Amino acid sequence: MRGEGGLDARSLALDARPPAEAGGRAERSASDERASRPPAGERLVVVGNGMAATRLVEGLVAGGYAGHVTVLGDEPVPAYNRILLSAVLEGTHAPDALTLRSPDWYAGHGIDLRTGTRVLAVDRGHGDVMLVDGTLVPFDRLVLATGSIPTLPPIRGLVRHDGSLHPRVHAFRSLADCEGLLAAAPGARRAVVVGGGLLGLQVARALSLRGVATEVVEGAEHVLHRQVSAPAGKVLARSLTRLGTTVYTGARVVRLHEHGGPEAGVGLRLDTGVVLDTDLVVLTAGGRPSTALARGAGLEVRRGVVVDDHLTSPTDPRVHAIGDCAEHRGVTTGFVPPAWEQAQLLAARLCGADVVHEGSRSVARLRATDLDVAVLGDPVGEEGEVVEVSNPVAGKHSRLVVRDGVIVAAALVGDLSRVGLITQHYDRGTVLGVREPGDLLLPDPVSEPPALPDEAEVCACAGVSAGEVRGCSSLEHLRETTRATTGCGGCEQVCAALVEQASPRRAVVETR
Amino acid sequence: MSGGTALPLASAGATSRGAAGATRTHCPYCSLQCGMTLVGQRRTTVEPWAEFPVNEGALCRKGWSATGLLGHRERLTTPMVRDRSTGEWSGVTWDEALDLVARRLREVQAGHGPDAVAVFGGGGLTNEKAYQLGKFARVALGTSQIDYNGRWCMSSAASASTRAFGVDRGLPFPLADVEQADVVVLVGSNLAETMPPAARHLDRARENGGKVVVIDPRRTATADRADVVLQPVPGTDLALALGVLHLLVAGGHVDEAYVAARTTGFEAVRESAAAWWPERVERVTGVAASELRALADLLADHERVMVLTARGAEQHAQGSDTVLAWIDVALALGMPGRQYAGYGCLTGQGNGQGGREHGQKADQLPGYRMIDDPAARAHVAAVWGVEPDSLPGRGRSAYELLDALGTPGGPRAMLVHGSNIVVSAPRATHVQERLEALDLLVVCDLVMSETAALADVVLPVTQWAEETGTMTNLEGRVILRQQARPAPEGVRSDLDVIAGLAARLGSPIDFSTDPEEVFAELGRASAGGKADYAGITYDRIRAEHGVFWPCPSPGHPGTPRLFADSFATSDGRARFHAVEHRGPAEVVDADYPVHLTTGRVLAQYQSGAQTRRIADLPDDGAFAEMHPLLAGRLGVADGMPVTVRTRRGEIRVPARVTTTIRPDTVFVPFHWLGVNRLVNDALDPASRMPEFKVCAARVEAA
Repeated sequence: MRGEGGLDARSLALDARPPAEAGGRAERSASDERASRPPAGERLVVVGNGMAATRLVEGLVAGGYAGHVTVLGDEPVPAYNRILLSAVLEGTHAPDALTLRSPDWYAGHGIDLRTGTRVLAVDRGHGDVMLVDGTLVPFDRLVLATGSIPTLPPIRGLVRHDGSLHPRVHAFRSLADCEGLLAAAPGARRAVVVGGGLLGLQVARALSLRGVATEVVEGAEHVLHRQVSAPAGKVLARSLTRLGTTVYTGARVVRLHEHGGPEAGVGLRLDTGVVLDTDLVVLTAGGRPSTALARGAGLEVRRGVVVDDHLTSPTDPRVHAIGDCAEHRGVTTGFVPPAWEQAQLLAARLCGADVVHEGSRSVARLRATDLDVAVLGDPVGEEGEVVEVSNPVAGKHSRLVVRDGVIVAAALVGDLSRVGLITQHYDRGTVLGVREPGDLLLPDPVSEPPALPDEAEVCACAGVSAGEVRGCSSLEHLRETTRATTGCGGCEQVCAALVEQASPRRAVVETR
Repeated sequence: MSGGTALPLASAGATSRGAAGATRTHCPYCSLQCGMTLVGQRRTTVEPWAEFPVNEGALCRKGWSATGLLGHRERLTTPMVRDRSTGEWSGVTWDEALDLVARRLREVQAGHGPDAVAVFGGGGLTNEKAYQLGKFARVALGTSQIDYNGRWCMSSAASASTRAFGVDRGLPFPLADVEQADVVVLVGSNLAETMPPAARHLDRARENGGKVVVIDPRRTATADRADVVLQPVPGTDLALALGVLHLLVAGGHVDEAYVAARTTGFEAVRESAAAWWPERVERVTGVAASELRALADLLADHERVMVLTARGAEQHAQGSDTVLAWIDVALALGMPGRQYAGYGCLTGQGNGQGGREHGQKADQLPGYRMIDDPAARAHVAAVWGVEPDSLPGRGRSAYELLDALGTPGGPRAMLVHGSNIVVSAPRATHVQERLEALDLLVVCDLVMSETAALADVVLPVTQWAEETGTMTNLEGRVILRQQARPAPEGVRSDLDVIAGLAARLGSPIDFSTDPEEVFAELGRASAGGKADYAGITYDRIRAEHGVFWPCPSPGHPGTPRLFADSFATSDGRARFHAVEHRGPAEVVDADYPVHLTTGRVLAQYQSGAQTRRIADLPDDGAFAEMHPLLAGRLGVADGMPVTVRTRRGEIRVPARVTTTIRPDTVFVPFHWLGVNRLVNDALDPASRMPEFKVCAARVEAA
């Protein structure tokens, strides 16, 4: 198992319910019902230094948290924006642009940040956590923000006898993974991405743009099967193929063959019998909440670490969990916005506000050049009336799931011209008119501008109509009599054309 | 030189154009202060003044028709007193009116202390009036309670510019510099409609190969002449700026050498921008990630980028932070101080710039001096001939002042100069109630404006062509409006009103009524301050097409461009500010599902007290601009009446259906009574700017 501890928010695509809004709600409720402030000097230990943990600490700083905060992160680097790793791989982002908070920031706010620190166990009886080097860190309150860990698909030959991954095989979860892949890419001609989810497609596009011939293997019948319907998935596969990436769906990798010698590539045998020869294998087949510490500490764990609406463990009121490792109302998520909402809400609670978590809306966006996908909520599973516009020839497929006039889920593939508006309607729960969902998926009607009627205003600055302009013999005449064109100057071309059309002078000159 | 006669054009080096009785002056409306020539005293007409560089003879229809209010039949020419029991108005003599006002003011102050009298000024007043009003409040009335409607105009940009650059001058360069820029980014400005002749500079920039970017929830007339148009959700310009910063950092486009040499505070901005990747920005702003990337690429690829904000970005409860975020963008690109590049604010009101420099603001003394700075108090008190300790401290900001009127501890009497509050204030129904709760309301105006109609005493004052005084345009250029014709019988200047009241109130010092004399004193009061006018004279203004401040001495050439070598901060460096997007104070919900935004139309100006009375300007009243998708949902067609309702009020107006506006937003122009009753009174914590530009509304077929 790789990456114990510090792994946080899955690097799968983002979504971003405006966090400020979530915070705003919290603040408003906070002013209404102030809970008792925590005792000054409370020792708060945060296990994890990913995006949820960073947001939590930012919230604690903003809220004036009175206790002493220790952050334990297992990665050696400062907190970074994990969801942009594929952008680094693609080359649109410099790695250092991902840093969310520098060590100086923590020091400046009196926070004890320990990077490269792995937690071995949580002892609730003694109220401390033990690090792998034997150090004990006592806590009065504990936040688990351990994120998730990548799922290793059952492929023979993937893991070597010592438990490490085959050197041709890369996970894609941490900055270290990303750097490893970046180092390997220049020497590779071919790559296979195992997993056709959002992350898989982003990695495939990134490698492809780096000149590596890339293929995608997806076990389900179409790519992005958790997010989009089969027709949309097929549209996407076509687009990928057009971009040079072959997609194998309904196929699982069962075995990795050595071709002999460190310079040679490997072969991936699919259960369909096909063998893909490749230089690189990237695993993007998803992850699961990192719960080992919580289990070991005797906390209630189902799929994730169970928390109530206060993000508190039912087993121990001193323990909280946020982000990918947490299970709230039976739901675990792999996205940043819910993790951030939880982080902000917990921060507000720890600063004395009485606010509760009611779940989140998610918007997932594929970040990859020339592949446009937005997924709002669960367009496959959500119940409601489905409004779809499909144009596979043009690589477009849009689906809105509408219930009582509200967009409750959507999948937009290949056409994001209205993504901003549709997302607003989705986030706001706007009740739409009956024609509106359909109209949203169609472009604004294009109409030829009709000939200007005489009463149409041509020069707004001077308030001059087309008819008045037509009545003038020249632009000079127009300026003198009406002052048209003498304000902002924007109507000059139109006026010149109208004067031209109306005046016979030019024709006369030509006939002479 | 005294008022009363037309100033001959040929005086002191003016670019002569001949014609006796022709007067070089400036338009009475917006901050562009277009040069114009007024001809004829009895029947005055507008002619171009081609040599004035800001507008080069061009005017919009407001300018061309500006003389329509001279000799207008609704013009007030007699002081009026209203009987509160009957509501009846009666004309009185000036002496009677001023005696009455002074007596009532003294009574109020005797009973409730000096701060029981408030003064409310305007961004349309000349520098001389604004200066004199601040001095009058502090010395003759001894009240701290003075502020003005400019607080609702560019105070967010003023606050941000001061924090980032150490000084607030709308544009730190001449407007014509726009023509030489590679990229001009207009954030929340519709200058093609609000100051049409300015659009000529944009067009020339494009002729020169430059690109124009417009950021506005509406595809406006300005957007029609832009290369790139982004239509964010109202109230999210800040997030958009953070998204641009994110991409500049990510792509390695930050001018690191500039940042290191000329700024401080970038690291915190770099970190806060790391959390604003394009898809997150898309969700918050409604602007597609691809559009954001295209904008960042455009900015990164050019040498001279100019970012200009206006009310669309500024009139928010997070307006000053929004401006700071866009200043961060300009600084990250290394633009401020570079020629034909940088950041600027397109000021709105005619004297929006000068009006905020010379003591009308609750917290400032002339020359941008802070009222709680002992050195500033000592300097100004010495010029005024009073003791520094006699000057009151900081008062309430505009909206807070109005909100306190007639409340326990709040002012009980108020003098209003150059402002039509009940039309232009946010949450206007409430503000009207506060005005009605006063023991005494005195309004100086040209016409019986909606606010004057609520007053106990209305004093008829001169307007632009009937008086002389300086204005400071959006570039920081001090210009001279010269009297072109005598004032109507019975009308006096605000300077006369101030002097008359000061004498009756037993002011320890005299107040001059001669504008040139007042200006000279203003120069001394501002000397050594940031907005230093000490070297500017009327003659120099005439000779030089205006003089840019700071101009500390007669031999100083003035300062058209700031920041070339250093910023006006203590260490000479510009300050980055890490700011977070908070969003509008009122978010849309099931009951109020659309964003309401407000703004202007070409043919009207501000509260419309002037323009609505001019026959040549079309006045079709307010309307609700909406997208066909929204109109379809409501079941209304173009021209049908709708009701726009917010938590504060409602208005019934015709729908104007157009594809140029975001489908989740309605726009209503604010020139008419009632529109601002809808608007939220949430204030920016730094600038105290109300949130005019976004609130939650419900629209229904009426």
